[in-house]
Amino acid sequence: MADITPTAPLGGHDARFGETRLTEVTDLALVSIAIPLGGEDALTSQLERAFALPLPDARTATSAKGRRLIRLSPDQLMLMWQDTDPDPARGVAAALDGTGYVTTQTGAWVALDLAGPLTLPALERVCPLALHPDSFPPGRFARTVMEHLSVVILNTGPDAMRLLSASSSAGSFLHMLETSLRNVSD
Amino acid sequence: MSAPRLPGALVDTGETLKFTWNGRQMSGHPGDTLASALLANGQRLVARSFKYHRPRGIFSAGSEEPNALVQLRRGAAQEPNTRATVAELFDGLHASSQNHRGSLNHDLLAVNDLMAPFFSAGFYYKTFMWPAKFWEKLYEPLIRNAAGLGRLSGQEDPDSYDHGFLHCDLLIIGAGPAGLAAALAAGRAGLRVILADEDFRMGGRLNEESYSIGDRSGADWAATACAELSAMALVRLMTRTTVQGAYDHGIYSALERCTDHLADSSGKPRQVLWRIYARRALLCAGATERSIAFGNNDRPGIMLAGAVRAYVNRFGVAPGRKVAVFTNNDDGWRTATDLLAKGVRVTAVIDTRKGGTRDLDGVRVDHGRQILDTSGRKDLKSITMDGGIRVEADCLAVSGGWSPNVHISSHMRGRPRWREDTAGFVTGGELPWGLSAAGAANGTLTLAAALGEGQATANRIAEDLGHAPDRTPLPRAEDEPFQITPFWHVTASTARAFVDLQNDVTTKDIAQSHREGFGAVEHLKRYTTLGMATDQGKTSNVLGLAILAEVSGRTIPETGTTIFRPPYTPVAIGAYAGRARGRDFRPTRLTPSHAWALENGASFTESGPWMRAEWFARPGEQGWRDSVDREVRMTRAGVGVCDVTTLGKIDIQGRDAAAFLNRIYANPFLKLPVGKVRYGLMLREDGFADDDGTTARLSETHYVMTTTTANAVPVFRRLEFARQCLWPDLDVHLISTTDAWAQFAVAGPNSRALLSRVVDDMDLSNDAFPFMACAEVTVFGGTPARLFRISFSGELAYEIAVPSRYGDAMIRALMQVGKDLDVVPYGLEALGVMRIEKGHAAGNELNGQTTAQMLGLGGMVSQKKDAIGTVLSQREEMTRDDGLRLVGLRPLERSEKLSAGAHLLNPGDPQDMAHDQGWISSVAWSPTLSHAIALGFLKNGAARHGEVILAHDPLRGRSQKVEVTSPHMVDPEGTRQRG
Repeated sequence: MADITPTAPLGGHDARFGETRLTEVTDLALVSIAIPLGGEDALTSQLERAFALPLPDARTATSAKGRRLIRLSPDQLMLMWQDTDPDPARGVAAALDGTGYVTTQTGAWVALDLAGPLTLPALERVCPLALHPDSFPPGRFARTVMEHLSVVILNTGPDAMRLLSASSSAGSFLHMLETSLRNVSD
Repeated sequence: MSAPRLPGALVDTGETLKFTWNGRQMSGHPGDTLASALLANGQRLVARSFKYHRPRGIFSAGSEEPNALVQLRRGAAQEPNTRATVAELFDGLHASSQNHRGSLNHDLLAVNDLMAPFFSAGFYYKTFMWPAKFWEKLYEPLIRNAAGLGRLSGQEDPDSYDHGFLHCDLLIIGAGPAGLAAALAAGRAGLRVILADEDFRMGGRLNEESYSIGDRSGADWAATACAELSAMALVRLMTRTTVQGAYDHGIYSALERCTDHLADSSGKPRQVLWRIYARRALLCAGATERSIAFGNNDRPGIMLAGAVRAYVNRFGVAPGRKVAVFTNNDDGWRTATDLLAKGVRVTAVIDTRKGGTRDLDGVRVDHGRQILDTSGRKDLKSITMDGGIRVEADCLAVSGGWSPNVHISSHMRGRPRWREDTAGFVTGGELPWGLSAAGAANGTLTLAAALGEGQATANRIAEDLGHAPDRTPLPRAEDEPFQITPFWHVTASTARAFVDLQNDVTTKDIAQSHREGFGAVEHLKRYTTLGMATDQGKTSNVLGLAILAEVSGRTIPETGTTIFRPPYTPVAIGAYAGRARGRDFRPTRLTPSHAWALENGASFTESGPWMRAEWFARPGEQGWRDSVDREVRMTRAGVGVCDVTTLGKIDIQGRDAAAFLNRIYANPFLKLPVGKVRYGLMLREDGFADDDGTTARLSETHYVMTTTTANAVPVFRRLEFARQCLWPDLDVHLISTTDAWAQFAVAGPNSRALLSRVVDDMDLSNDAFPFMACAEVTVFGGTPARLFRISFSGELAYEIAVPSRYGDAMIRALMQVGKDLDVVPYGLEALGVMRIEKGHAAGNELNGQTTAQMLGLGGMVSQKKDAIGTVLSQREEMTRDDGLRLVGLRPLERSEKLSAGAHLLNPGDPQDMAHDQGWISSVAWSPTLSHAIALGFLKNGAARHGEVILAHDPLRGRSQKVEVTSPHMVDPEGTRQRG
């Protein structure tokens, strides 16, 4: 039997720029949940029952018991939590009991955590959004474009952001962020 | 040797900076510009003019400089046409003059000055016409050689550049008195403020005048204000930052020069081009002084009066030992008093206004007089007034009044408005959204008024944005006298009087332009080049159009002004490009097997943003054909593996997913059973073929669609449009899973044997898993996977998908377990060869101009249902039996190659479009058939198999006989793929 083990898109990249750290999140399970037409109430109840998660609005994530839920479009949610299951949708599907359509998205994305004092200065060079905590506080998320790459950005705390982008262009994504960090570091 | 500085200068004389000018060592101090340092070193001749190569000196002290254009740095970093007046001095700077043949002192092209009568306005529209054949060989090379100012290095720019995005409540453009007062008020009111100034020291004219604010100097007050602003968390001070343009919706561009003032950028971006989103903006960009046109008014030593004050007050440099002043307003007098206060001798004050009585102790004063001419070719020696009065002067300070810097306000086509009392254009018409102006930029030219207006406007904005205004009283300041009687040019001068120093445009040129019919201000600009080039006429525009108004007998408002466009000052192309250079021009997408492919000799080709392996070279192979032929042969004889992850994958779920697909695809999809895959053809609304692919049904409500690589995004977008806009009543949901799954084609007679070692506990026999079957499976002991029995190559083939993080391991595992089966990786070229052999359409055939009928897929377009494009696909011309049809082609002479793009003609017909029978869309050399093959579209092609026709390729100059065949040139019965 051949050995078949997963590889993170950036191989678990971890880099420091002074006090700022850029880390690939290698154990993030991502499952998209589509809200059936006319089924929002049922899904809302089931999300509460199964995960204690309220249905989020378009801007702010909800979280409970280590799971985070964001709403990427009117009828599409993304559930994220720490898990290395190659097919996490299966479990979510069971928990939702037919109230939502689920698709595993883990491999479609690369996730990077950026934390430290250079977080905002570095993102200023690539992110068109206003990220000051007054306008983008912890828990807030947005879908945007940085250097031609589609990115989901989530404020995970003071001077800390989680950034998700397509896994096939993970190298370009990392290069973009590291160039920014180098450009703004002393 | 640098002269000692005058007292009170804002330069750090405790530190010396060394620099070179035309190879000569000079020195200056921190706080100097190159211009102030050159003046301090006695260097007054710094440039040659554009057209006449006249000696020129430093004319201004800011970004409006028309004369002192120099080259900075050396080697690849050399930058021509930079203004010495804004170049911050640093230790080790190399600067040189430009636009001369021979030395700056002895410019051979100064002969142009003698030929000036031939170079008048519009000369290039009238000359070089005869003889016509001289143009290309003589005139153009000569003109090209003489044109331009500085020289590019011709090397790649070694610096890096960056872009960025900023957001604020209030963007204040300019940190002079009005800008600082506004920033203080807005900052104290709690607004998020960006204060940007192009200078390296904030304060604007406060640093350059002898103003007092409260009990301190203007410069001190500015420094204190900056200190207070720096301590405010919501205020961002941006020095060395020029706001370059205003755009829609309160967006401004600004260029920050980050390392231009440093000898070494240390790998950091040299400049950052910012996009600033501002809820409101306040233009406090000040005003630019203008000159008066009189005979020989361009000699080194003749400067704007405000610049003379700047060099004396800010930089502590006396621009002359005997300074005369020529003015039409009170500023000239202020220049004289400032000079006298610093101990500089003033030889005359000449005020064009009649009837004045003002006097200055020990200074010759002439009211109501004009300067007719000057002397001193490379350095001013004297001036001559009307009446033949000659006064010695090595510096002449000229003040013709101030023009508010309204540029940004008219970037959205707002027309500036003429203000008679200050004789200048102020903001007018429709301003960029959210923009207002204060201070000199608004025509408020005196200190106390500018401070007050800055504060009041900022407070108004604060209230408008829901903040309480700042009630802090402003410190006491004076409104200096400012009276002006417009006076534009000395008509009695017989010598040339320059209006635009940068373009050598004279008063006579303007009159000539008007005489020759170019009397509109926009025509004047194009005919004479007035106001063009790096300074964009900052010192010359108003003067020029005032003279035009005079000669045309119109008022200035009637004459109007040219409109301004971004950028406000020149911007390096590199700054616009930012990081988008070379490999970083755009992101690249890599397949999950990329690293493995690199290790195994793959060459890569771009397929949109994807990098795809095109073939895998092996030792001993002489070229790509060897590799591709081998990959095809080994796949057709054994088993080959190709990474097809790049094909678009769209997860489609919902109660109405089947109905949705049935409307998207031209062929039926309603009854596709679970566990089956179907080939689908999408049409555009106009009935032409759009994209093809396969869709698999994984459950009652769950499908996976594949698209071509190129159309992955357009198809997704199209489906999303259909779902949201066409049929919002359907319960259908889409999400891209292209990146979520690593997918491999496993093709060839041994593919089943290979996969039986990969897939866990599954019967892969033809009966159990026939052609067009699909299943969710596991591989290598439990890893989830999807298996599809589909074939693009025409072989017994599968596609197997694993979660993309297992892709690298999967390709290695496939190669390992298939070793004894002689498994071979194949690239995009072999994939292309095999699909042409099999007659499968790809991008060359699905080019937007082909129909289902042309592709031989007409029967797929169901007439029992409606789908996108069905109706229009049935138009008469599109369903003709004798229309173009996909055919196979092979050269009659089997050793010949074929040309993609060649036209098909009947033998004997003229070779023109009237007799065109079709074209060749794809060609390949078939290792299976051992000759070249092609796919193409031929009129009535389906009925012409076996005919010999002509392939005519005028581009390559080749005509050859080709035989028409079925497009399915290998295994036309499909026994292999179904086996």
